[in-house]
Amino acid sequence: MSESSESSGTNENASPPFIEPTSGGSGQCGAAGVSRRGFIQTLGLSSAAAAIGARADAALAAKSPSQADAEATVLGPDAVAMPLTVNGSRTTVTAEVGATLLEVLRGPLALTGSKEVCDRGSCGGCSVLVDGALVTSCMMLAVDAIGCEVTTIEGLAQGDRLDPIQESFIRHDALQCGFCTPGLVMACKALLNHHPKPSMDQIRKGLSGNICRCGTYTNIFNAVLEASGQPVPTDAALPVLPASEPTSRQGGT
Amino acid sequence: MSSSLHAADTGPAHLPTRMPTANRPANDGKSVDDDTSRLDAVAKVTGRAKYSRDVFPKGVLFVGGIRCPWGKAKLTSIDVPGARKVAGVVDVVLEGDSGEYDGDPIGHVVAESRTALRRGLRALKVSWERLPCRTGVESADAVFGDAPDSITKALAGARHVLETEYSTPVQTHSALETHGLTVERNDENVIVHASTQGTFVVAEEVSRFIGVPRSNYEVRCEYVGGGFGAKFQIGKEGTWAATTSASQKRSAHSFCDRREEHLDTGNRPSMHARVKIGFDDDGTIRGGQIAIAGGVGVARSGGGAAFPSGRYNLGEIDAKSKNVSFNGGAPRAMRAPGHPQAAFAEELMLDEIATITGVDPLELRLRLTNDDTGSRQTMLRLGSKMIGWDRRVATGSQRGIIRRGFGIGTTSWKALRGPAQAEVVVHRDGSIEVLSGSQDIGTGFRTMIGVAAAEKLGVPLKALTVRIASSKLPEGPASGGSVTTPSVAPAVMAAALDARTKLLEVAAKQLGVEASALTIAEGEIRRGDQRDQLAMTWTDLCRVLPTETLVGRGSFDGRESPHFGKGHSHGVQFVELEVDSETGVIDLKRVIAFQSCGRVYSRKTSESQILGGVIQGASYALFENKLLDRRTGAMVNPNLEWYKILGSNDMPVIEPLLWVDDNQTGPRGLGEPPVVPTAGAIACALFNAIGEPVRHLPLTPDKVLAAITVASARQGAHS
Repeated sequence: MSESSESSGTNENASPPFIEPTSGGSGQCGAAGVSRRGFIQTLGLSSAAAAIGARADAALAAKSPSQADAEATVLGPDAVAMPLTVNGSRTTVTAEVGATLLEVLRGPLALTGSKEVCDRGSCGGCSVLVDGALVTSCMMLAVDAIGCEVTTIEGLAQGDRLDPIQESFIRHDALQCGFCTPGLVMACKALLNHHPKPSMDQIRKGLSGNICRCGTYTNIFNAVLEASGQPVPTDAALPVLPASEPTSRQGGT
Repeated sequence: MSSSLHAADTGPAHLPTRMPTANRPANDGKSVDDDTSRLDAVAKVTGRAKYSRDVFPKGVLFVGGIRCPWGKAKLTSIDVPGARKVAGVVDVVLEGDSGEYDGDPIGHVVAESRTALRRGLRALKVSWERLPCRTGVESADAVFGDAPDSITKALAGARHVLETEYSTPVQTHSALETHGLTVERNDENVIVHASTQGTFVVAEEVSRFIGVPRSNYEVRCEYVGGGFGAKFQIGKEGTWAATTSASQKRSAHSFCDRREEHLDTGNRPSMHARVKIGFDDDGTIRGGQIAIAGGVGVARSGGGAAFPSGRYNLGEIDAKSKNVSFNGGAPRAMRAPGHPQAAFAEELMLDEIATITGVDPLELRLRLTNDDTGSRQTMLRLGSKMIGWDRRVATGSQRGIIRRGFGIGTTSWKALRGPAQAEVVVHRDGSIEVLSGSQDIGTGFRTMIGVAAAEKLGVPLKALTVRIASSKLPEGPASGGSVTTPSVAPAVMAAALDARTKLLEVAAKQLGVEASALTIAEGEIRRGDQRDQLAMTWTDLCRVLPTETLVGRGSFDGRESPHFGKGHSHGVQFVELEVDSETGVIDLKRVIAFQSCGRVYSRKTSESQILGGVIQGASYALFENKLLDRRTGAMVNPNLEWYKILGSNDMPVIEPLLWVDDNQTGPRGLGEPPVVPTAGAIACALFNAIGEPVRHLPLTPDKVLAAITVASARQGAHS
């Protein structure tokens, strides 16, 4: 497995197409000098699956494996201290190097708004923003978030003042059981950050990485339209039934 | 909206609620409050809502299952001592040595962390001897019974006889929050955080294992990440959490992962239906035979399908149903159990009859519909105008690359209710609680009982706090059969009226007047002939309550009553779609969904129920299929990318229409009825577009292309 073939492939697929590949983002983001090869060599068996899906460090991605190894600091296999910036607060979490960002958010940080639904990047239930890009946090190692600005659903509202997309979700009842809702709100936020006035096609594509089982999509479309200041489709007019078409009645139930 | 509906013979009662508020039928003397938003919406959009899977008490143990990976297999080796040696592994419990289906549990591992749990499970190095297995229902399983003479005669006398087969796959509930429990144990007390749709069912089940008296034990499920019928009982994963907590005297967290959720937490059983039906040139159906084989996995029952549904006059039908067991997970109730699969077969059968006889499918349904309220007939007429049925061209007549189809599906649901209790508690500071132990699995139940209580008490909705989903609160039903709101709302209304009566007695005493001279409206105590003069503010009244809490109690016996309405909730759906005849891909364009609903307590959440029903029905029609490998019995797609669910790119425009009938004044459950018709309507629309029916769900491109090939060959042979 080469560094380059591993580089953010799964994440790009999981993210909606409007998101820039995260490996092209800030060079500061990611554990400085940490080699993914080092992780995989030293990690326990639990972490290989998570590591395969993880986003490569921007600097490392551009370098050959030998260069990267030479500069790398190898972490693990024991738990390590990770300085993380989540919702604007700096905090240090001690976790296994193989822990995903989602595990660290839901466990030590007690930010359980991000949900574990599929744990393999196919449903978007754990979506967060990492340096502004939409990321499925089950597919990113927590150590890869060192140096990044992580925004979770808990960080979207300013105190009691909800984000406009949250307000629109409520007004359009774009939620039922609510389990997919945090991920979908984050996906909508990322969509609106990138396309302030998205077309219906952009909305559909932008939310295609998120699964809702209750069936709230059409109300979510309306919430996005409203939050972006665009007209929301109105109800269809009811037709008039001519009096010459009497309601037929047959039999009994 | 300027148009109005002329309902020829029943006056103005049949009004869908998507009308200006002022024009709506004023049930219960009140019109619907359009702007009521879901009471738990803020908690849900901010991530503050704590689901049971989000609860990690201090020192919690994690539990995971050891499961058979094949359709049928015998355990040949397992390294229990090796797993016990893994750091952080607390216990390994082996309960069996063979499996009858992929996902069959044979034991579990308990560990201090999720990582230790994963390592412990791997260290078991389990190996199995795979045995021959059976993976589903087959055509040969559906066998007609011996037809009575009358049916043999009806078939012999019919102008046409259609003999064919329909089948549907296993569908998994795929709730996004998987099944499980977090058992929180502190000293003498236990709180069970369950992902359930039956608070009191779980309270009963878990109490057997938990090791504390019920006085010290509570089941909570304030937020539930979907149920859809699979979350009544606790399952193995729940039992493990309870037994682990009891034996280790610690908190325990046991939730299925996504794979286990597909494998072992229930499903909609598969169906194979054989049909032989006789009919005449005008579409009159003489009768016939139906044989259903329901695929129930390792269970022995649960595979029935409501075919014939009773919604159409099909003449005399001899229907025979049997359960077929195979090496797969057992079914559980799933959103209208037995109905969507039956409606798929029945509606497509009707369209095949329509095509053979040349009768328009809309006209055929109008002729055959069995509904003495006339609701479905009116819905059929109105819906046909809304969808533009006149744009429909004859089945088999299209030759272009993109072909358009229209289809119809119908539903009727008996309005069931069960016994429930509720309380409305008023405090001295004026705050108000509405209490019911039943749960809101996303239906809007919490909101609807809040609206019902506010209305009866005479206070604004925002003055209330609705507390639900605890075994310590007044008992209400589990969420099955669409009964939760229609059962609990009457109890809540009774409790609110009881509280109101008691409050007015206090006020009357305080003011030195008769209680009958007073009322409560808009959160004030009023008097006067018009009940429009302020007699006392809410705060002043509550301040003088004789005790800290004034409790209004209400109960509902669950029986049908004229006030709460009875009979069936009817619905009709129209579907318009396009098919790409080169790729076989179906593009849903539009769904019109009528649903009768009784008294609407919250328009938004009620419409959401219909949207959700249509979307889940469409997902069933197009994609969903629990696939078992025919050789090994292993599930091929135990995840959310290969078990595909309808997503944002697949969404049609959906028009939900809440239909208020004059004989339905009480609340009605909307969870199940709207999921019934959709798959059938889509299958009919596909048939209309391509000229050949696809009789086996899901309607995947391979089957669509094969059907188009058959249709083309027939057209070639005719030309």
